[in-house]
Amino acid sequence: MNLFRSEEHVERWLAGRDPGATIPVATLAELAEAWWRDRLAEDWQPHATAQNQAILDGLGLTGEFWKLP
Amino acid sequence: MDEADLEIRNLTYRLFAERASAPTVGDVVLESRFSEVEVETAWRRLHDAHALVLEPGRPELLMANPFSAVPTVHRVQAEGRWWFANCAWDAFGICAAFGVDGRIETLCPDCSETLVIGIRDGRPDRDDVVFHCLVPARRWWDDIVFT
Repeated sequence: MNLFRSEEHVERWLAGRDPGATIPVATLAELAEAWWRDRLAEDWQPHATAQNQAILDGLGLTGEFWKLP
Repeated sequence: MDEADLEIRNLTYRLFAERASAPTVGDVVLESRFSEVEVETAWRRLHDAHALVLEPGRPELLMANPFSAVPTVHRVQAEGRWWFANCAWDAFGICAAFGVDGRIETLCPDCSETLVIGIRDGRPDRDDVVFHCLVPARRWWDDIVFT
């Protein structure tokens, strides 16, 4: 899970491998905020899979690639 | 995850955040009512529950996501200190977990250029870089270090 200079750099780095998913850095920031913001909370509780899937869905990260097990 | 495991997990994270380095089993024992065996076995259960990640075969922290216990190319300045993140997603997660602005420094895996991103109010200060996730979500925990 890396940041790249641009989509062209992703493509070159993949060197023919099957790509994963590329998203804008602004979406990544929103994802991180929703996923990690409670991580140091004193009353932290584990996220349920459905809760995490709802975070992904809410950001438009849908489809087979973003489906949690 | 039972109450004791949750207490040990939360203490582990608190110590990591306070010290900006990974606590040992002994550190957690000193700050808690639990024995070394209790902390070690709780850490193993937490590892199995993907609540933290241990070094292979050793009761030592490798990850307390989003924090990395070992140096990586993903560095984050937040809370007046520098941290290592496990990946680019986790780098943003460190600012999110503290609820603070910050600065992320990482390397483009293709060209090795240093990418610097400022975080203000949860938002990046540039939009000319992209995030790539190679592994599909269903396989993230098959090999979390590779992911």
